Amino acid sequence: METILRLERVRKTYTKAQRSVEALRGIDLAIQKGEFLAIVGPSGSGKTTLLNIVGCLDLPTSGSVLYDGQELGRMTEKQLSIYRKENISFIFQSYNLIPVLTVQENVELPMVIERRFSHGEMRARTRDIVAAVGLGDMADRYPRELSGGQEQRVAIARALVKNPIVVLADEPTANLDSRTAEDIMSLMEIMNRERQTTFIFSTHDAMVQRHARRVIVLHDGLVSEDRGEAA
Amino acid sequence: MSTIIRIALRNVLRHKRRALITAITMMVGIGFFIFLDSLYNGLDHLSIDDVINFRDSSLKIFSSAYDADRESYPLDKGMADTAALSAWLKKDTRVVAVTPRTQFLAQAGNNRDAIYAIGNVVDPASDEQVFSLRKALIGRYFTPQAGSDRQIILGKELADKLGLKIGDTVVLAATTKYEAQNADDFTIVGLLSTSDPTLNKNSVFITFDAANDFLDLGGLVTETDVRLRQRVNLSDILADSASVAAAVKAAFPSLAPYSFQDLNKGILTVLRQKRIWGYVMMLFLLLIAAVGIVNTVLMSVYERIREVGVLKALGFRGREVVWMFILEGFFVGCLGSLLGAAMGTLINCYSIYVGFPLSKFGDVGAGFVFWGTLRGEWNPGSILFAVVFGMVVAMVAAYIPARSAARMTATSALRFV
Repeated sequence: METILRLERVRKTYTKAQRSVEALRGIDLAIQKGEFLAIVGPSGSGKTTLLNIVGCLDLPTSGSVLYDGQELGRMTEKQLSIYRKENISFIFQSYNLIPVLTVQENVELPMVIERRFSHGEMRARTRDIVAAVGLGDMADRYPRELSGGQEQRVAIARALVKNPIVVLADEPTANLDSRTAEDIMSLMEIMNRERQTTFIFSTHDAMVQRHARRVIVLHDGLVSEDRGEAA
Repeated sequence: MSTIIRIALRNVLRHKRRALITAITMMVGIGFFIFLDSLYNGLDHLSIDDVINFRDSSLKIFSSAYDADRESYPLDKGMADTAALSAWLKKDTRVVAVTPRTQFLAQAGNNRDAIYAIGNVVDPASDEQVFSLRKALIGRYFTPQAGSDRQIILGKELADKLGLKIGDTVVLAATTKYEAQNADDFTIVGLLSTSDPTLNKNSVFITFDAANDFLDLGGLVTETDVRLRQRVNLSDILADSASVAAAVKAAFPSLAPYSFQDLNKGILTVLRQKRIWGYVMMLFLLLIAAVGIVNTVLMSVYERIREVGVLKALGFRGREVVWMFILEGFFVGCLGSLLGAAMGTLINCYSIYVGFPLSKFGDVGAGFVFWGTLRGEWNPGSILFAVVFGMVVAMVAAYIPARSAARMTATSALRFV
């Protein structure tokens, strides 16, 4: 399988009130294209920090992160922003849709920001992905008119619409009831299989871990267990 | 950019009540700015009109010899041929009327006390076309007299000091053209109560018929006063006055013409200074409105920090976040500015077409009487300035909180609670 992301001896130290906290203490990880991977661990184990670094939202204090062989640490902030815009998508725990935009406009937003797509292409992609997440008849609704599960479906559509290399999801089912959470996980699995998009999500939820084909367990900023298909 | 505009506009509409309250704050600031500016223009015009109507006319012309010694009011250095000057002036379309006047030093008394005064000899018929004494007159104006004319108009404050009223006799003493002392009784027909205290305190008016006899004038004229056409803007009034004065000087080199601004440098300086302070005061009104905008955008920013984080995670750059909030400020500013312009225009309609009768304010201080109607003036430049200023201030005010939001990293914005 093709390795799309490699982390080598990644460390991250935060300094707060003259106190240093090591969130990551030397992570080595290789992620293949099309993986459906869960990062689990107790609070403070470094899950969110790892996701932020993988998502180019943050840089490691030391070590290297390589996407398709390109090292992120050598990129300028602008290059990093462009790379993130073109290749990485996010799904947030509390959906974080833009409340003043309709479902269709929210899903279109990453393409509008990227400015790589024609108007017609944006419309076609949006129509297809909104239908694929089961919200074809709700394209003109605003987030306030949707349920939590529907909002997370919109967030998934928004994450997938520009065919990113990686989708990062931080606790994607934490705000959903168990049945809706199951639906959302099934939907992400389908998208992962059909589109070969890599999904990396952090979670506490045992049900989510059951869906994952690979599970990485973090403990005190280190990988304590790596089980599943790529291990 | 269209997405940024759409998000900004919809966020304003989403918080209609908040946007409306801020817009109303701006509306009041801008509306009053426009109204006060209009009223200031009206007050300036009223002050200038008073000087023209009662004291200086639009333009004064002396002989050069008289001008050199003007402060001693000599009666032997008058103008030679006022008829030729008058005929020449009347050919100019800007000139409405011309009148001769002669000034002299006098003492007005009541047989016990006497007060120094400036005497003005007037030709009642033509003087009325240049000056507007009748408007500020208590009693009556001069009427043609059979035989010896002994009518006099006194400044009201002068009459009050001498304890005289209409119908009483005042003793006027003066030096004649031939340096002889003369004194005679005059009957008070009118009292002048203008907005110019010096006129009220020390001026007396008699006719040429009376002065030819009393001062042995023989028709001597010391100045020619000119009324120019009515103009809306002060700058046009001043330009006309300067240009006619220059034309007179070119055509009659032996004369000394004085434009309005030559005679009233002090008044014009005071008006300018008053205007500057007026603007400073009015800018404070607008700044109060700006505080409202800062508050609105600040609330908006803090409510939407996580949204900023999402937008940045999706690829929004800092300056796009800044623009989004600036546009929100701009839309609220537009609304406030346009409502303010509408409010200012509406109040101005009343102030310009109806006006405020100053007589309602009554006597203000000794002898200083407001009369007539204070009206505002249209000033499209000022309305435009207020509207543009409102919009710019709104954008600048929005920039400050927007910049702090844009500086946050996506991760810290997303963690913001």
